[in-house]
Amino acid sequence: MTRYVMVIDQRRCIGCHSCTVACRTWNKLPLDIVYNPVLSEGAQGEWPNVHKYWTPMLCQHCANPECVPCCPTGASQQDADGTVWVDPKKCMSCKVCVNACPYGMRDASHIESRLHRFVRKCTFCRDAREMDPSAQPYCVKTCHQKARIFGDLDDPNSEVSKIIGSVRTERLFEELGTEPQIYYIPDLGGKA
Amino acid sequence: MEISKTSTGLKDIVCPDTESTEVDIHAEGVEVVKSLCYFCHANCGVLAYVKDGDVIKIEGDPNYSNQGGLCCRGTSALLHVNHPARVNHALKRVGEKGEGKWEQIPYDQAIQEVADKLNQIKAESGAEAVASAGGTTRTDDFARRRFLNQFGTPNGFHNALLCWIPTFMAETCVAGWSPFETDLGAAKCLIMWGFNPGASTLPGNRGYLDLQKAGLKVIVVDPRYSESASKADLWLPLRPGTDAALALAMLHTIIYEFMYDFEFVDQWCDGFDELRDHVAEYTPEWASEITWLEPELIRTAARMYATNKPGCIQWGCTWDQIGRASTTGSHALALIRAVCGNLDVPGGDGMPGPAINYLTDEELELNELLPEEMKAKQIGSNKFKLTSWPGYQLISDNAKRTWGKTLPSEWFCEAHGPSVFKAIITGDPYQVRALICNATNPINSYGDAKMTIEALKKVEFLVVVDYWMTPTALFADYIFPAAGALERPIIVTHYGATDSVMGGRRAIQPKYDRHDDFTFWRKLGLACGQDPANWQWETIEDAYYEIIKPLGLPVTCWDDFVEYFRMYYPPLHQNKFKHGGFWTPSRKVECNSTILRELGYVGMPTYVGCCENEIDTPEIAEEYPIVLTTGGGFMPYHHSEHFNMPGIRFLYPDPYFSINPVLAEKLGIAYGDWCWLETRRGRIKMRANVEAEVHPNVVFAPRGWWFPERDGSADLDNPFGCLESNVNVLTSVDDWDCDPMGGSWANRGLMCKVYKCTELDHDFTAKDAVWSIPGSSNIPGVTVMPSDQHLDREKIPFEKPQPDFEVPEGYYWVWQDNNLYQKGTHFRLDASGWLINPRTKGYHDAYTGWRYDGNGNCLVDDATGKKYTMEREEIVEICGVRCYPGAEAAPYEFPANLTWDVELGYARLGDKPYIYDPNSGWMFDPATCAYHDANYGYMYDGSQGCLVDLESGKRYSMSYEPMD
Amino acid sequence: MKHHYWEPPIALYLFLGGLAGGIMFLSAIFDSFVIPGHTDIFALPVLIAFIAICIGLVFLLVDLGQPGVFWRVFRTAKSIIKWGAVFLVIDTIVSMLFIVAFLGDSLTFMAPLSNLIKPIASPMLLVGGFFGLCIMMYTGIMLSTLKAHVFWATPALPVLFTVSAISTGCAAIVLSIGGWPAVVSLESLEAAAEVNHILHTVDIVLVVAEIIILLTMVLSFLGAGNITAKKAAKRWVCGSYAPLFWGGMVFAGLLIPLALYVAGSGVASAVVAPVLVLCGGCLLRFLVVNTDDRAPLPGEERYMGRIATHKNAFVKRWNYDGENEF
Repeated sequence: MTRYVMVIDQRRCIGCHSCTVACRTWNKLPLDIVYNPVLSEGAQGEWPNVHKYWTPMLCQHCANPECVPCCPTGASQQDADGTVWVDPKKCMSCKVCVNACPYGMRDASHIESRLHRFVRKCTFCRDAREMDPSAQPYCVKTCHQKARIFGDLDDPNSEVSKIIGSVRTERLFEELGTEPQIYYIPDLGGKA
Repeated sequence: MEISKTSTGLKDIVCPDTESTEVDIHAEGVEVVKSLCYFCHANCGVLAYVKDGDVIKIEGDPNYSNQGGLCCRGTSALLHVNHPARVNHALKRVGEKGEGKWEQIPYDQAIQEVADKLNQIKAESGAEAVASAGGTTRTDDFARRRFLNQFGTPNGFHNALLCWIPTFMAETCVAGWSPFETDLGAAKCLIMWGFNPGASTLPGNRGYLDLQKAGLKVIVVDPRYSESASKADLWLPLRPGTDAALALAMLHTIIYEFMYDFEFVDQWCDGFDELRDHVAEYTPEWASEITWLEPELIRTAARMYATNKPGCIQWGCTWDQIGRASTTGSHALALIRAVCGNLDVPGGDGMPGPAINYLTDEELELNELLPEEMKAKQIGSNKFKLTSWPGYQLISDNAKRTWGKTLPSEWFCEAHGPSVFKAIITGDPYQVRALICNATNPINSYGDAKMTIEALKKVEFLVVVDYWMTPTALFADYIFPAAGALERPIIVTHYGATDSVMGGRRAIQPKYDRHDDFTFWRKLGLACGQDPANWQWETIEDAYYEIIKPLGLPVTCWDDFVEYFRMYYPPLHQNKFKHGGFWTPSRKVECNSTILRELGYVGMPTYVGCCENEIDTPEIAEEYPIVLTTGGGFMPYHHSEHFNMPGIRFLYPDPYFSINPVLAEKLGIAYGDWCWLETRRGRIKMRANVEAEVHPNVVFAPRGWWFPERDGSADLDNPFGCLESNVNVLTSVDDWDCDPMGGSWANRGLMCKVYKCTELDHDFTAKDAVWSIPGSSNIPGVTVMPSDQHLDREKIPFEKPQPDFEVPEGYYWVWQDNNLYQKGTHFRLDASGWLINPRTKGYHDAYTGWRYDGNGNCLVDDATGKKYTMEREEIVEICGVRCYPGAEAAPYEFPANLTWDVELGYARLGDKPYIYDPNSGWMFDPATCAYHDANYGYMYDGSQGCLVDLESGKRYSMSYEPMD
Repeated sequence: MKHHYWEPPIALYLFLGGLAGGIMFLSAIFDSFVIPGHTDIFALPVLIAFIAICIGLVFLLVDLGQPGVFWRVFRTAKSIIKWGAVFLVIDTIVSMLFIVAFLGDSLTFMAPLSNLIKPIASPMLLVGGFFGLCIMMYTGIMLSTLKAHVFWATPALPVLFTVSAISTGCAAIVLSIGGWPAVVSLESLEAAAEVNHILHTVDIVLVVAEIIILLTMVLSFLGAGNITAKKAAKRWVCGSYAPLFWGGMVFAGLLIPLALYVAGSGVASAVVAPVLVLCGGCLLRFLVVNTDDRAPLPGEERYMGRIATHKNAFVKRWNYDGENEF
């Protein structure tokens, strides 16, 4: 079996937004849709003892997604490899999945023609992988800092398996039981 | 950007058609072109997928330094090529200036009209009345200088003075070249000083992170908790603009805590004792008050750098943007590297020198065509001498004496940009009538934007070459469309300051009527009547091929070089100084620089505060109590670019300045509030980013802001909103605020006040756009003429030592090393009476200049390839065999069956035309250079290992046995 | 939070759905169990329910991005929304048929059809009442399953919505009982008065219950440990929603009608109070739908506060499909 996951190394991310722009460019997203924002609370602490880190976001491709069972038309679905995606042909954009997602990683555009809006979300670049099975998602490919690592968790030799098995990773809102599949290596600061 | 198709019909409504947006790069007919990104200096590798003459997709080149990575800007290249607001045709102004009415005319017609006007101005006011402004290095700069030199004007300029050039010159004064390259793989410590690769050179940043993980100590000096600071081992959050004090204090600490490299200093540093005494007063305690850093922190940094050897200091733009204190800081830093022995050593700062193996930019500039009297007319060269002709001449001549090649005059020898703008307004020192802006929008990128925009409005003839209708282009008489990334080949030679070269191909021919900059300058040059022989290359690819031809690679055109080599790195040469010394006039690291002294400056870094600070100018600090720093790069923009790329702009639509929460609370400012930032020169508005990334008394304002979505012509006081959020309204270009050596103007460490926009005081009005010289928010107009503006430092008269002997004709004497050099070639006249070529270390004949060839014990004229004897008689060689025509007897022995031919000068076998070679004992056929034996004249057949009698066709073994 | 994903049409749809459900539910109860035999008096209330459902559905469709795909709801999924849609459609049909049964009274050409259906009007209403209850519960349950939003994900919400829906249904019936299209007999009018009387009492109970549930819910959130819930509740109790919550919903929408019902006479009790109840119910849906607070990711609010929206001028300034400018 294949289980796609992503590891995000926050120790390497510098908040350059390259992933955001690469994603929107190659997935041809409308302007107001951002699949993978790079969030930061800014420098925290009291000057000069401050620290800043970035949290690159994307759909968490949960093992137990909130957004799939709630979909009334079957547009929101999950592949066997864990990829959660929305079939634009089937989506009527009722936005119940948008409201169901605890991570806010889905939305429909406000720019597109009024009668052809559908819910969009990160697909781990499903289209690109369909064309070329070895393709990496654009956000991973474009990352100068190699802060995003994509791979198959079911393959014990994959880089992601090795990292998740050996480095302390965190997941977002794990307590909700969604079993998110994006693993973060936190940047805890504290340099010499 | 394609937004989903509008579809019709019932079927589309109930089953919408939303096909995959994926582009198939493996489809038939798709070609991969190795290109380079062109949106910042990092020039990442890009693979462009081209189908039917159009790029369908790009991606980062995994086999390039960016390892497949591309940032926001690079990724947007396709959207840039096809952006609907790109300038695509030559535009001629038909309305009033700034009215925004244009007529599209053919490119060549526009070129001719511009050329005629330039020639007319030249005839009326002299060539110097034509100036040219540039932006970043991302143009074909050698072509521009080639044009200007042939046209005869010295007034080309860039933002160079804010970006590395003064630093380069100061470093060159100290050690003979700029430590351009760092050998980080072997380094133990790295200082990133005013440098934030996290927002500027992303591939580099990845490298730093990797190396840091492997143990490299990273010290970041930055007043802001930058992206890079967030990953650093040690961060020095100094008060903006006080870099010189910090550098001097670190130098003091290194020297007085005896952490310098004794052996190196002893052997290779000149004037160290003077320096030691000079920096005695610059203690960390002294610097603490200025820099707001604890003395212990300064010591810690100095110790970390000096004891973790070898180490590197990475140059940062800040060094050149502090105004009058700029070069002092970079000078001190150059000395820190030197006294720690980190120059030209493994793991230290590299000293690559100019490219020896391919043509440097300088060799393409035709500087020799610019008359001396025009050099003297270069605006600003009487003030900021280090970076204009006076300083360049000294440094360049020295480089030719030491390296054998030199740095280009483009960038390193330029007019002082703001002074040119002032000259346009005031006519002082003379009226500049025409300005050609190539790849720059000076309103946003040069200091004192209000004065700059006035100059652009006032200049009689303005030509702009650009991608966009910028605020500058709005006032142009002619606009030429520029080819962008993917539409032009790219060469990366780092201004000609290092010895490596990288290249990228043109993915597609320029669309519409766009042309690369080389073509623009070439066409303009030819239309101006310049000699076609000086514009010998038809295309930029031809010119680039000319550059790399001396590498001797097996390629016949530029595209092949890119395809098969892509880059050239010469073998890493370190410790070069151990054989022949450093590349200064004295051949040592000059702690008390002779070049600086010759130019009238102090030879050692002497502290001066930045132009506005609490200690030197308390009266300013009283009214403007907050320290402002500007100019730092920030993602996702580059300089004033990309504000019209919606996909990028969406992430950062409004300008935000950073303010500490403590200060924000004191001023009643909340996150996102629009606020006024005001200095003595004017005010702008930005939104507040309340964040503890800056000191509670510092604000950081990003550069470049304009609003291309607006109608430029609607408000000519503030076209495209180019003044209202433009930090350059706040910066100063007054001569006393500029660096007296390098001419850098003041971007950092300024004093300002910050207050919230109110209902009644919310809009940027015409009053806020009023210009003045010198910069002032309340006294408009010209109050002090440029010539009357004094510098921060008086020149120190320097009496150049004179030789106590007569210098022979054709030579000149260098006082620092007491040597004679040949004029023109700059070869040193050795005590042996030979000239020495610094590039090859070869000996040349002092009379003819011919090179001595030790193998043949002869002289070689490299220009013609002819050889001469040591008596300067021409050597005749046929098939590599030396002949002695006219010699009565052979100067060597030969077999008895041969005869000496006096006329031809070699031994012959009967009447056969073969030439006897005394070295091998064989004979050569002069027509084919084939071997023939000396007994019978049989030809040697290497494939069979036998001899062939050409007359009979019979074959013989090597012992003359007949063979079947 | 970037923006509200569900906009006013959805709040209106939830309100109108609940209203229709409430009308159907109460009408069925009264017709079948309280005062049987006077089915005709519910013709106008059911007409109102029908109109409410229709408008609600229009609002729902208006909010959809690809309304043409709506049909898939009936084909594929098991989601709550699917069931909601089924309930709504059933009640639309039931209420329409029910009205047709009485249209003949006013429009003679409809009489044959009406007479055909009339005999099954009462059982039909019972079916409609059952699905009306489903609709009311669905509106609340649908929101409460979206556990990303703490303010919705509480069992109190479906209860609150159901009580509010019945209460608004009650008010609507009070306003409309015994009117067109049915031609109502004198006894029926008496029955209507009787129903009206009972409904007054019922609504008093419902309003009191609603106040209790609402305050319990909001105030318990205010004291909750969950930061997001607390923040949302704070907005209701003493923040930007406070005037609407206290003044609009609690005071004007519940307390005043309560007082009027209790004081109980004339126009004030017969017209003003029910209208206020309806407005209060509508306001409740708006406030609840707008309280879609999600636990923010670290830095999310900063990010969303800074990036552009579709309203920024540059967004529509350049069109890649259009003509080049220069």
